[in-house]
This record gives sequence, C-alpha cells and structure tokens, in this order.
Amino acid sequence: MSFTTKDTKLYREDEKSGHRRLRPEQREALAKNYLPEPPSRERSSSRAKTQSHFGVRRLVKAQIYTLLYLFVHAIFSLYIRIRSGYRAVSSRVVSILRHHYNSPEYIARDVATLPRLPNHLSIILTLENGGKGDALEKLVNEVSEVAAWCAAAGIPTLSVYEKTGVLKRYMSQTHRSVCQRLKVWFGKHQVPSLALFARGAPAIRSHHRQGLDLILVSEDDGREAMVDLTRVLTEMVQKEKIAADDITADVIDNELSEAVMREPDLLISFEPYVDLQGYPPWVIRLTEIYCAPDNQGVGYQLFLQALRKFAQATFKLGK
Amino acid sequence: MSDLYLSHIRNWFWKSPPAEWVMRGARDLLIGTLKQGPIPKHVAFEMDGNRRFAKNHKIETIEGHHLGFEALARVLEICYKCGVKVVTVYAFSIENFNRPRGEVKGLMALAKVKLEQLVQHGELLDRYGACIRVLGERDLIPDDVLPFVDRAVEMTKHNKDAVLNICFPYTSRAEMTSAIKATIDEFTSPSPPSKAPFSQTRITQKIRSNYSKRTEPLGSIRESSPDASAKSDLDDSMSSTTALDPESPKSEPAATKPRKFPNPENITVDTINGHTYTAECPPLDIFIRTSNVTRLSDFMLWQCHENTHIFFLSCFWPEFDLWHFVPVLLEWQWRQKKLLEKESSRK
Repeated sequence: MSFTTKDTKLYREDEKSGHRRLRPEQREALAKNYLPEPPSRERSSSRAKTQSHFGVRRLVKAQIYTLLYLFVHAIFSLYIRIRSGYRAVSSRVVSILRHHYNSPEYIARDVATLPRLPNHLSIILTLENGGKGDALEKLVNEVSEVAAWCAAAGIPTLSVYEKTGVLKRYMSQTHRSVCQRLKVWFGKHQVPSLALFARGAPAIRSHHRQGLDLILVSEDDGREAMVDLTRVLTEMVQKEKIAADDITADVIDNELSEAVMREPDLLISFEPYVDLQGYPPWVIRLTEIYCAPDNQGVGYQLFLQALRKFAQATFKLGK
Repeated sequence: MSDLYLSHIRNWFWKSPPAEWVMRGARDLLIGTLKQGPIPKHVAFEMDGNRRFAKNHKIETIEGHHLGFEALARVLEICYKCGVKVVTVYAFSIENFNRPRGEVKGLMALAKVKLEQLVQHGELLDRYGACIRVLGERDLIPDDVLPFVDRAVEMTKHNKDAVLNICFPYTSRAEMTSAIKATIDEFTSPSPPSKAPFSQTRITQKIRSNYSKRTEPLGSIRESSPDASAKSDLDDSMSSTTALDPESPKSEPAATKPRKFPNPENITVDTINGHTYTAECPPLDIFIRTSNVTRLSDFMLWQCHENTHIFFLSCFWPEFDLWHFVPVLLEWQWRQKKLLEKESSRK
C-alpha cells in the first residue's frame, strides 16, 4: 500500500462528494506527504555548507544502498539460475516423453483438441555468433523443423523473421533444405508443396498445389519498408498523381500487406524474453505474442504451448 | 477462530500506522536500492484489466476505472522516485469508442474531472518540473473535454524533468499514418531558398580565375564562363541539401517547374521518427501490459519494435503496485548488464 489508509479514505470521500470536501491546498498537502524533495535548481553556498555537515550520514547511506543493491541482484541472479536450470531439466524430460518422432500424425493428434489454430504463424529466429561457423546451417535447420511442424499441424502460412536477412541470399538452398525435411516427415508421395517468398525476390514454388507458404522477413521489411513507401507516396504527391488527403491508414495497410506480409495471428519468440529485434511494426497490431521465460532454442513443446495459449485467447477489439 | 475473523485481524494489522510506517520505509529502501543500477528513461504502461477486476470483486465497472486511476497515481509516484524521465500510459483507444455509451461517458467524465483538478495544482507541477502531454487524434476528443486537455497541456508545456504522456484517444496505426502524412507534407511544401551564405557563382569564378592564373594561354575557359554563371544563378535557389548534388536539375527554365521540392530520397527512418507523437522522448525501454493479455493492441508499435523489453504481467491494473514493478525493473537491469557484457566481449 503506497498511500496510507487514512489518506485513501479521505481522497475517496472527497471524490464521492464531487470534490467539494477538500480545497486545492488541502489536496496538495495530502499529496505532499508522498512526494520526495523537489529537485533544487539553485546552488547557493549556504546549501553547500549544510551538505558537508551531513556528509558522513550521506556517505553511510550511499554505502548501505550500494551493498543492498549488490545483495538484491545477487539473490535475483541466483533465483534466475535456479529457475532456468529447473525449467531446462523439466522441458528436456517432457520433450523426451512427448516426442513427436518426426511423424505428422503425432502432431495432428496434439492439435486436434485445440478449438482454433492460427492462419498465419510468425517466428523470430536469431543468427548466432554473427553468422560464423555453422550458425547458418543451424538456422536453416530450425526453419525446416518449424515448417514441418506447421505443415503437420495444418497452419497454412509461416513467416520467419531473422534480423539480418541472411536467408534471403540463400533462397534456393533454403527451399531445397525445407523440402527435404518435409519429404522425410511426410514420405515422398504425400509431401505438401512449399512456396518460398521474400520481398524483392521471385517466389520459389515446388508444386502448384496448395501447401505451406513460407515468407522470409528481415529488418529491411520493418521501418525501412515504411520509409520506402513514404518515398513512393511523396513522389506521387509531388508529381500530383494523388492528393495528400487521400492517404489513409487503409491505403498504407493495403500496400504493406501486399508487398511485405499480412498480419500474423501468433508470434513465437524463442528467446527467453520478448524483444522484437526490429520486427515490422505495422503488422503486429493484434498479434498474440508468446514467449516462455528461460527458454533456450527452438523446441516443439514451446510451439505446442503457444498454440494452446492462442486457442484460449479472446479478441475483444477494444469493446 | 474462523477464517473471516483471521482475515479481519490481518487487515487491521496491515492498515495500522506502525505497519504502514514500516512498509513505507521498506518501499523507500527498495526504491533507493534499485536506483543504484541503470534506470530506464522511458516506460510505457498499457493499463488493462479494470473491467475484469471490477467483475471479480463485484463492484461497478466505473468503480474499477476509478481504482485504476489510483493505481496510476501509485505507479507515477514509484516511477518518479526511481528516476524514470518519461512515462507513457494508454488511457483510451480509438477502438474504445465502441464500448457501451454509458461507460464511454463515465470515462470521459473521469478524464474531465481529473484534468480539472490537475489544472488547479499548477504550482506544484512547476516545482517538480512535471509536464503533461496528451497524444493522439485531437479531433476525436469530445468537445467538453477538449478545453481541459488544452489547458493542462499549455500550463505544463515548459517543464522538462518528468513527462507524462497520456495517449487519449490513440491508436498506433493512426500515429504512424499521421507521421507518414506529416513527412509527405514536409517534403511537398516548396523548399525555401537556400540560406547558406555561400554562392556557387563566386566559387566557380574563383576556381576559374585560379586556373587562368596557373595556365595563362588557355582562353577557352574564359569564354565558357558567362554560360556557367547564368546556369549557376538558378542553382543558387536550390535547397542547401541538394546544393552539392550532381544529379540535381541544372538548367531548367523557370516557367515549366515553378516549385522545387526536396528530394524524397532524403527521407530516412529518423525523418518519420521525428513526426511521431513521441519524437522528443527518449527511446522506449520497458513496455508493460497487465491482465495477462499478450498482445500489443495498437500501442506504441513503432516505438517498441527494437531494443524494448516487453513484459506481460498477469495481475490486473488496479492491483499493480511496487511489488509487481520491482521484478520487472530487476529483470531489466539484469538483462542490461548481460547485454553490456556481451557488447564488451564482442569488442
């Protein structure tokens, strides 16, 4: 309780009576109990003298605070370490017990109980080590895994956000790798088709059937894409092709969803905390964001938990 | 003794003056401790869960909103004491106009009353350097609330120490659209004549005279200089950013293009950023949403897309207090330390 009960009661009575009980000065006096010293703007010499008088007390207080700060942070780090250790062990155990064995039937069974599935799933992946060593291979591996899960669960669109956009330079290799993984999962004859999209590059499709749509998104598709759109709009207004008043949120929304990506329903972050890392700001308006604290790496159990949380979410749209 | 008596005794104990004094001391100690570490400069709160809290505790919805306002006062006290410079709160969304009419009227009345009270404490606000700003689509504010809003903003405009941004009524997409439109307006108003004191004609003449001093017999350069001076007179009227741009149109006769627009290629992320409602505020450090909803819901989308730690808490907004804020702050400080270590190890 920050405010004392007596003050709270007085404030609430005043409010109920339409603010007639207390005058402004009385209200100020009420608030003054809780406000700290106002920041002093003048530095007069007399003040400096009184400061040196209480210098010892101030020094001791500062030392106590520093010690307490180190103590509190030490306890907190210990708590975090214990919690992540416990979570790591339990998630390993669960993932072994409930493994999907690379078969779509297991995944289909897991999602069959969910009342609702997202139409467009988005994930944020991180390229480790600045791309050195086998980081790229690991990234492609992760993308293939998640694509296989989505295809098995029946989610039609998957967009992968990776800040540097390195996968956009290796689109055909990525396509091949993901198709390979899907073949392993579904068998050669039932493999769903894969269409790989990225802004500014031609789409790569495997068959012309309906299958999984995989969109690659990077930092350039976020604020930079909006800057490009602004440039185009400015040129159009300068050349008097459109009037400035005609530009509404709908126009911008239409352009961005056609050119970059539509709104995802669910966003999964595999980092231990929610950091959007430059994800396109416009599309993420009503997206459910799922992130498990202390999570490490891409795991199927996290994917399933995110789908479960999505199924429970209610969308009120402000009402 | 039954549970009811025990809870009564517990309540009486916690509300007694000595217990409250101890709790206050503990709170101040905790805040002073956390101040020793890095403190975020800009925190955003999405105040969600007033209605669900009211339903759970069987009180009126508007009572829930009043309790939410008290929670806001608590949070502002905590943030100010911790040293947070800018606090942004999501008070009312443009989508909230779809709520039942009675509730919307109640919320507007609440806003009017609080703003009216605030206006009476101008001197206190000045002493602490507190500034209130209302962000959002101004033309959607009802007419009876608008004068209070304007008065509160005008009165505290000059303060800079502690800023409270009230987003009312606000949607992030509307903000981004207005930022884009403002950028377009900036770049489609004819650019003012260059105010730089440097003249291109003088520079070219000087260079040519240097040439002629060095190589006397070359008289051909001197013949072409009258043409060059005619061209460069027009160049003088270009904006200073494109003054040294070799691609800029050189010898357009004045009749066909009366207005010279700034080059749209000069639009960058910072240009659009400068037109958002939070342009003068430091970048967003922490984003907190209460009531266990894990969406951003059109709040601060542009600002929190990078380097912002987003927290989704499961308590409802009227319950939000220091004990919920401290873990958030601790985790943020811990994460900042880890990021700093990573940066320094990379270098």
